Amino acid sequence: MPQDANTASQGKAQPRPKARPNAVSWPLFTTPQPIKRLFDKFPLYTYPPNELPERTAQHRDQNVLYLFTGDDGAHRGLPSFNPGCLKWQAYLKFRNIPFVTVSSNNHASPNGALPFLLPASSSASPLDVPSPVSSQRIQRWTQDTIAKRKGKKNSSNLSNEELKHEEPGAEATPLTEDSTRSDPSDMRYEAYLSLLDHRIRNAYLYSLYLAPLNFNAVAFPLYIAPSTTNTLVRLSLAHQLRAAAEGELTKQSPRIDVEAIYQGSDKAFGALSELLGDEDYYFGERKPGLFDASVFAYTNTLLDEDLGWRDFRVVDGLRRYSNLVEHRERIFEAYFE
Amino acid sequence: MADPLDSGDDIFGKLQKGVDPKIQEEKDKLRNEREHAQYEKARRRLGELIQDNSTLPTTISSIRVIGAPNTRKSFLERIFNPILSVNHDRPYTLAEAIREVSIGADKLNRLDIFHEPISLYLDRPPKTDPSTTPTDIDIYLTVREKSRILLKTGTSAGNGEGEAYTNLLLRNIFGGAESLSVNASLGTRTRSAYSASFESPILSNPSLRLELGGLASSTQKTWSSHEEVLRGAWTKLRYLTPNGSKHELAYNAIWRQITSLSPSASPTVRHDAGDSLKSSLTHTWTLDLRDNPMLPTRGTYTRSLLELAGWGPLVGDVAFAKTEIETQAATPVPIPGLNGISFTTGLRAGLLYPLSLNRESKPRPSRINDRFSLGGPTDVRGFRLSGLGPRDGSDALGGDIYYAFSTNLLFPIPRVPLDTPFRFQAFITGGRLLALDKKGANQNEKVGNAVRELVGNGWPSVAAGVGLVYAHPVARFELNFSLPLVVRRGEWGRKGVSFGVGISML
Repeated sequence: MPQDANTASQGKAQPRPKARPNAVSWPLFTTPQPIKRLFDKFPLYTYPPNELPERTAQHRDQNVLYLFTGDDGAHRGLPSFNPGCLKWQAYLKFRNIPFVTVSSNNHASPNGALPFLLPASSSASPLDVPSPVSSQRIQRWTQDTIAKRKGKKNSSNLSNEELKHEEPGAEATPLTEDSTRSDPSDMRYEAYLSLLDHRIRNAYLYSLYLAPLNFNAVAFPLYIAPSTTNTLVRLSLAHQLRAAAEGELTKQSPRIDVEAIYQGSDKAFGALSELLGDEDYYFGERKPGLFDASVFAYTNTLLDEDLGWRDFRVVDGLRRYSNLVEHRERIFEAYFE
Repeated sequence: MADPLDSGDDIFGKLQKGVDPKIQEEKDKLRNEREHAQYEKARRRLGELIQDNSTLPTTISSIRVIGAPNTRKSFLERIFNPILSVNHDRPYTLAEAIREVSIGADKLNRLDIFHEPISLYLDRPPKTDPSTTPTDIDIYLTVREKSRILLKTGTSAGNGEGEAYTNLLLRNIFGGAESLSVNASLGTRTRSAYSASFESPILSNPSLRLELGGLASSTQKTWSSHEEVLRGAWTKLRYLTPNGSKHELAYNAIWRQITSLSPSASPTVRHDAGDSLKSSLTHTWTLDLRDNPMLPTRGTYTRSLLELAGWGPLVGDVAFAKTEIETQAATPVPIPGLNGISFTTGLRAGLLYPLSLNRESKPRPSRINDRFSLGGPTDVRGFRLSGLGPRDGSDALGGDIYYAFSTNLLFPIPRVPLDTPFRFQAFITGGRLLALDKKGANQNEKVGNAVRELVGNGWPSVAAGVGLVYAHPVARFELNFSLPLVVRRGEWGRKGVSFGVGISML
């Protein structure tokens, strides 16, 4: 597709420099200078561009985070009901990155999954479009943005080390480029992260999509109903969604053992509670980091009473650890109210 | 591999090869000629007979259709029973009787289940039969049924797209000229397309047909950085009026999915990504009075389309009224000493008027897959596919209102006979494609402002060029050299040579 854009731009009103290398690599097809000069006269007249249609993206001058949320929720900046989205929504808030949220769906994403971030466009012209930042790259993008902002503020060169020091959680995630450290604390960090990414996520997936009570009460109105009003299409989407969840769970073990899944999440919450202890945020930091965002993403979604959970198996497992519940409330009050 | 028998003489080889295609061709030709001669003779005899006896009182006592073992009797009865004299209170003249039967035979022809020609014989019933009257005639129609299964596979290329396809046609399935057509194709732009449609004449009337169909397809729309996946079904009622205009009334329910966005997709396309269901009623009216649809030299063509989606009981996820009109006129240019020059001109225009869905007070603005697109070799030549209209980044977004025109002057090619389907052409094409004005206070103001911009703001986007036209019976091929003259910033003109294939070209 980029190839197509390249060739197409040769015929554009304003040829892009990108198209040139093509002409150079094919000396046979270069147009003779006099003809090229004649061609360059066309089009003879160029008017200003056409206006965009009404149904288009707003907030082009701001950073926009596309995530699962209701239209009203997007407008008010409420936390997303999807843990994967909420993690990055919370993280951006922790890092003081200004952004607005927009309700979207997976089809819109550059990598097939929400969230993604569309950085503010520097130019006002709709012909200049910034490229989207997928969730895997949001952390990196945030660091770069903060570095740029710092650089502007006191024009002193912050070393990379200092930057990383400022973000303890970020430092060791497997998302950063070099995850080949063997520091014992990093290994511990990764072990805790895998509790979230596997045990808690599995229980969450099972309880949301495969437990019938919750699917109809929570997943259906949140994920399927907004896509379409048509019953047949909704049924088809519901089927796809449940099949995807099932596929995700059977990827790890061929048989879905419900009891084991729930016990796994209970234990994982216990371990996370122990790790947090009496601190406000994980790893004794004064400000929450990426790990706090990851935990908050699940705890907030599970403890949000507005979502209308009907099967409380996972939620009950979480409620037993009051410091996790308080951790969630602390973040909610500080960043989402 | 050497087989002693085979190498000895090639009799086996010859047998294995089957009939020499040349001989077969010769045979077919002879047979055709024979059939044709027979047909001609019968026609002449009939002509003489009718002339001599045109006012002879006649009653049709029976009509026999011979050679239609797979066609239902009741189906044929519905065509021929009304003609039988038993069902008439007064006798025909012979001329009238022949005319009535010809109308019936013509109906058989148009059902597309019999080979042409259908032969017609008249006979007098034996006088010995006490039940007959002296005015009685019997009618024999000899037909040959077309093959009931037709399988076609092939590849094709054009408009920057290549594809491979399979087409299965089952004819006369239940003996009532019902047909089932199943298509599957894989291509570079239309990644995959599967469709099936079942069509049947209503009450044995070839001019009135009902069609039920469904499709599943996935098409890459590189000009707006996405892939559109469609799944849907339709039902159509087609009616051909005696004066040749075609009406088509359809209900469509289509689930559209905008997905697989390219990394450079614009915010507008990202905003429109996802699912939507279109539930719509359409009416299409076509009147084609051109002498040749692919290379017209005389006559006019008119087509109008009305689509109503999501309104009232139609529900669905999108609501709008869409109207589109297309006309073309062709006329020969009389220049003494220069034969075969013709001038064609075409105009298309359309408007999408957003409506409000049930229980919503405000109309929903249009989506990218409902808006019109313009530009490319089949409409505004000299522009890229969807090269006209609003653009976000590199994505064509389409518009809610448009017009496009084309004027072509066609010349015969020197030393190429006039009856070959090759012509030179010189053309000027142009148009404008706009979104409704966002700033309007209400829907009518939005449309009004857009109309003012459409016709009031300077020249339309225009391109001009020359080229070569080849009019194949099923599609028109063009090789053009063109240059854009007037564009809007962001619109994608096309300088130089381009190739186009189209069935309906502006």
